[in-house]
Amino acid sequence: MATHIKKAIITAAGPSQRRLPLQSLTDRHGESKPAIAIILEEMLAAGLEKVGLVVSPADRSAYESVLAPFANALTFLVQSAPNGYGDAVLCGRQFVGSDPFLLQVSDHLYVSGAEKSCTRQLLDMAEAEDCAVSAVQATHESLLRFYGTVAGTLLSGRKGLYQIDNVIEKPTPTVAEQQCVVPGLRSGHYLCFFGMHVLTPTVFQLLSDDAVANPGAKIGLSPALARLASREKYLAAELSGRRSDLEAHFGVLRAQIALALNGSAREDMLALLAEELALDATRRSASR
Amino acid sequence: MDANLLALVEGSAAEGAYFETVCRASDRAALERLAAELEEYRQHATNFYHRVRSIFFLEALHRYFLPPHYPQDNSGTIPFAGHQHCLARRFEEAVGVFLAHQKAHGSSDALSSALAAAYHGLAFKTLAQQVQKTVRLVRGNQWMFRMGHPLDYPLRIRRELVDRGPDDPAPVLFEETAVRMDLSHAAWSDIFFLGMDYPEGAKVLNISVNLGVHGRDSDTRPPVCAFLRVIDEPVLRLTSVDLGATVDVKTLDEVFDFAKDYLGLLKAAVIAAGVVPSGLEGSGQELADVLARLCGPGQGLEIASQVRDIPKGSRLAVSTNLLGCLIALCMRATGQTASLTGPLTETERRTIASRAILGEWLGGSGGGWQDSGGVWPGIKLIEGVAAVSGDTEYGTSRGRLLPNHTLYGRDVVSDRTRQELQDSLILVHGGMSQNVGPILEMVTEKYLLKLQREWLARKEAQEILRGIIEALRAGDVAKVAELTTRNFFGPLQTIIPWASTAYTERLITEAKTALGPAFRGFVMLGGMSGGGMGFFVDPKSKAESRAKLLEIMTRTKRALESALPFAMDPVVYDFSINEAGTSATLRKGFEAMLSPEYYLFFVPRWLRQDPRTLRPEVRREMDRFSATSLYTSGTGSLLGPLMRRIFPAQDDRRRDGAQGGSLRDLLAANGFDSVQHERIRDDLRSGRIGLAQNRLPSTAEVEDVRADDVVPIYGADAQAEKVGLQALRDGRVAIVTLAAGAGSRWTQGAGTVKALHPFARLGGRHRSFIETHLAKSRATSRLCGRPVTHVFTTSHLTHAPMEATLRDEKQFGYPGRVVLSPGRSIGLRMIPTARDLRFAYEEMPHQQLDPQKEKVRQSLHKALIEWAISSGEASDYTDNVPMQCLHPVGHWYEIANLLLNGTLRNLLETQPELEHLLLHNIDTLGANLDPVVLGKHLLEGAALSVEVIRRRLEDRGGGLARVNGQLRLVEGLALAREEDEFKLTYYNSATYWIHIDSMLELFGIDRRNLANPENVAAGVRALAAKMPTYITLKDVKKRWGNGQEDILPVSQFEKLWGDMTTLHDVEIRFFAVPRPRGQQLKDQAQLDGWLRDGSAAGVEKLCAF
Repeated sequence: MATHIKKAIITAAGPSQRRLPLQSLTDRHGESKPAIAIILEEMLAAGLEKVGLVVSPADRSAYESVLAPFANALTFLVQSAPNGYGDAVLCGRQFVGSDPFLLQVSDHLYVSGAEKSCTRQLLDMAEAEDCAVSAVQATHESLLRFYGTVAGTLLSGRKGLYQIDNVIEKPTPTVAEQQCVVPGLRSGHYLCFFGMHVLTPTVFQLLSDDAVANPGAKIGLSPALARLASREKYLAAELSGRRSDLEAHFGVLRAQIALALNGSAREDMLALLAEELALDATRRSASR
Repeated sequence: MDANLLALVEGSAAEGAYFETVCRASDRAALERLAAELEEYRQHATNFYHRVRSIFFLEALHRYFLPPHYPQDNSGTIPFAGHQHCLARRFEEAVGVFLAHQKAHGSSDALSSALAAAYHGLAFKTLAQQVQKTVRLVRGNQWMFRMGHPLDYPLRIRRELVDRGPDDPAPVLFEETAVRMDLSHAAWSDIFFLGMDYPEGAKVLNISVNLGVHGRDSDTRPPVCAFLRVIDEPVLRLTSVDLGATVDVKTLDEVFDFAKDYLGLLKAAVIAAGVVPSGLEGSGQELADVLARLCGPGQGLEIASQVRDIPKGSRLAVSTNLLGCLIALCMRATGQTASLTGPLTETERRTIASRAILGEWLGGSGGGWQDSGGVWPGIKLIEGVAAVSGDTEYGTSRGRLLPNHTLYGRDVVSDRTRQELQDSLILVHGGMSQNVGPILEMVTEKYLLKLQREWLARKEAQEILRGIIEALRAGDVAKVAELTTRNFFGPLQTIIPWASTAYTERLITEAKTALGPAFRGFVMLGGMSGGGMGFFVDPKSKAESRAKLLEIMTRTKRALESALPFAMDPVVYDFSINEAGTSATLRKGFEAMLSPEYYLFFVPRWLRQDPRTLRPEVRREMDRFSATSLYTSGTGSLLGPLMRRIFPAQDDRRRDGAQGGSLRDLLAANGFDSVQHERIRDDLRSGRIGLAQNRLPSTAEVEDVRADDVVPIYGADAQAEKVGLQALRDGRVAIVTLAAGAGSRWTQGAGTVKALHPFARLGGRHRSFIETHLAKSRATSRLCGRPVTHVFTTSHLTHAPMEATLRDEKQFGYPGRVVLSPGRSIGLRMIPTARDLRFAYEEMPHQQLDPQKEKVRQSLHKALIEWAISSGEASDYTDNVPMQCLHPVGHWYEIANLLLNGTLRNLLETQPELEHLLLHNIDTLGANLDPVVLGKHLLEGAALSVEVIRRRLEDRGGGLARVNGQLRLVEGLALAREEDEFKLTYYNSATYWIHIDSMLELFGIDRRNLANPENVAAGVRALAAKMPTYITLKDVKKRWGNGQEDILPVSQFEKLWGDMTTLHDVEIRFFAVPRPRGQQLKDQAQLDGWLRDGSAAGVEKLCAF
């Protein structure tokens, strides 16, 4: 690919997620730091040079104080009002300019199953295919209400790489079954967004069109991505790795366990889990 | 296989080639070869429809084409094991057993009847399975069958239904849906199997309409509506406002229990909409957990449905559209549609249609795919679609399960035309209630067989449809009327003669006369006529025509109500085209109320409750109700209707409960024996009598007859004919037709007079049983040159209507003497014992239904047993109109009544030469005073000659047997083992030749002391004591509401004339006669086969109309 992707946008202005990325976790190396710092580190390690962080005006100072070590690479982008995820992305238009960029949410942590980080895997894919690529994960239909879901077809001979035909935000299983069935997946599973995309600047135009067409309305990203699929080559890639959604039930705890089990503190975490289980078993047998 | 036959089976034969033509040109050997080839083919056919068509061909061979080639005295038996397989729906195995028997013992009429039944069952089972599979595979439905645990439950209630202020009531989502009017009539091409087999031929023009009952409603409205709201209890509160039923469903098992109450449709909707997905059935999970995930912990849903006083049987697919309405409502509430309110997208409407099919299947019913047309707006053309690669149907059937809908905008059908259509068409409900199910089976079979007449008619119907569309485009409504009329009298009746009724034809004739040039045409709606129908009139005189039509319908209904099953008085609808389809609104804050009728149903219940136990939200709702609907002035106030609900008028109670004096009067007037009744009740309760006790002891040895036990009468016998003819000329014989019955099986207990039922067209028009029997007697009279005396025995139910009909119709022009013998014995029906119901449901053989229908039936059986227990086992059945509470006590008494009521005495006085009676059932249409059979009876000189016919599979209910060595008739309900019936070669056609003096002797009297009532009564009592008493269960319809009908089992007792053959001191002969002579018409579903196999033509030949 001609273009080396240098910039990323992280969105952290969603009303329900604003403070979650500030939650402290112990990273793979045993250091305690906010989740957002862990995300930023992975991005910079993947070769990205500039990151725009979309925050709400009220949270800017809190983020600035914890992210001071990343000041050189970081630009704060303020979303003045909670006008939807699409609007948050649109806040990064000027920052990104005319190059493809990485878009990531701030309430997901990723644990790679391969040598390369999830971010790097996606960047490699996008750079090689020279097009927009969204990371996806096969997800059970009972969880569809949390994610944008894609309809597409497997590219022949390309395991885990799909041509996206449509994107539907949080579909019901009824709609998913009618529109998002992808050959090759287990029944009841659909390709849902992983929270990580490489997008082309076209998406800004599409979001801007939406904003003009629906003044005052919240703007979603998925409708713009659905139209992107009809405008240009747009792929979905299953990455080797998994995500931890901090917002989910026990999300922070699970993220912490995942980080620890994939890092230097693996033994400690296993010992801790074993101890908890043993204590629980002892208490239960005593109560009987 | 022969190339021509292959082309026919595969549906690729040249135009003008038909299977029936091949069969008619073949002899028996060739037909048997065809059967063998088709059997071989169907075993290996991979294409679904080729396989099904070959099975239908096989059925037709065995039912229609092979039997005429068997000699009349051809013997043969049916292996019981095959029959058992049939009952258990193992049709494939049944075919195997029957074919093995055929190989070992040769083919026979009996075996062909069994093979025809097995192939018939196999074909419909195969078709039904395929549709069910396709419904499950429809994209958007599959997930509901996968989901088996609340943790996987994917739906969430829309925020708009939960968000509210602290004191606000829960928002109410309200859905209103049109019903569909089938203007073109699809010629039944929208039956799923047929649309999938021949999508090009599946087309219908379907209009969504709003309705109002003329004279009652001020305006037209969408006929069905439904409400949904979140409630603060973890239950599914389901309410049918129009059926007056509500239940708090607390467990998943209850959700899947469809026939337990009147809420089966709501339950089916909840499941089909995915609110409680099918996968949860039998999962052992908790409904509360599902509701918690859907609405939040401790919360539940209330769903209420309402049909706005549109009578059942409107043929406008009210229930399917209500199902669609409920599914749409549930889908909106759970985020399965893009918008919570307003109209829906085409994709969403299609999902609803597919789920309505699923819901109907769950509820054990099913119509055609056009039925959910009310979900779509306005006028639309619905067409079958060829399946293409990627469709779940592709490779299995030629067409998709779901059709395409093309909406006709105002550019196609102008506003002026729409208006003229509404101004010209008078929609009515004729009041008849009939089961359309058999017709749908008949059409399926005929279409898949591609019978020549029906195929050509179908093509003509398609041409008519094109004409109707053109006429609408051109704005020529008069042309539309002409075409729909042509459709009804042409193709529709060619395909299904039973689509028309004597009532419909009379209405049309009278309307034509009364309206003159203002009459423009007729349109049949739905599966058959008699209920919902339409009359086209000149728009300028619509008001006048409407009044005349209502008068004609009401008068005609009065004239025919004993003869045909009417559920209600006729009504005329106002209608308007619904241009919105299904649509929803959200009611919030003070407006968050359900319908006035909902509160009329619930408020009296709330008032009966201890106020302290009423939940706060209910109290607040009562406040809002009283503020909005009670204390307002003018017509909007519900104070009056509410008070009438709380204090129903005494007259209403009496009408509902039928506790008035008229039942007592009827009992007294019809010879009710209260002592005997109490004894029977006592015996029933103690278990001394009952269904199980009807049976012979298990030690009884039942054998088939020996060769010389019967006198065969199959051919000409000049001597017998001469003797018989002379006896007729001498006036030595009269005919007695048993006509006391209500034809329970014919109308599922509707309480009509079977004798008066105009069951079929014979001699150019609909004829009743009584008219047909008289026509045969007229033919006999002409033959012998002397009018024959014809007696009809009657009962409390049949006497007055038959008397009136004979008077009004002037005995149908019959020149001889027609005598009615009124019943002198009557019984009062009882609520069955749970023991008898269980015996009937569990011990007696039943045709198993497909798994879903079987589940519904079992649920119904459970509910009926609970009903019997809660209503009081063996207590008097009085909760119905009096006529439905009484029962005739079996045909043994009908002969005894001839003596008791003086009929026989009068006959003998006026016709002293009379010596013999021919006694037969009302539905034995081939029975007549045949000189040959009569001659044989005279030559044999027996006191009683009994006619029997060779058994076919469908001839159930006993036969001629040797029981412990004694040659006698044995009733089916008396056989201890079902397999014993299958040993018997002969079936009892219940036609008897009686030598009068010998019979009187059995009663201990003679001609002279017939005039002495005490002697007669003593004789009857003495002989009755020797006759066994059978307990039987009969279905009885209870009508209520707007044409609603409940079918309930009741116990009654009867004594049967066939048991006279058990008397040892009687000279009896058994005559084996040709099958057409003894064939009975018991069930409407038999009619089509009866017409097609030539039986109808045979009966016509015996008649002189």
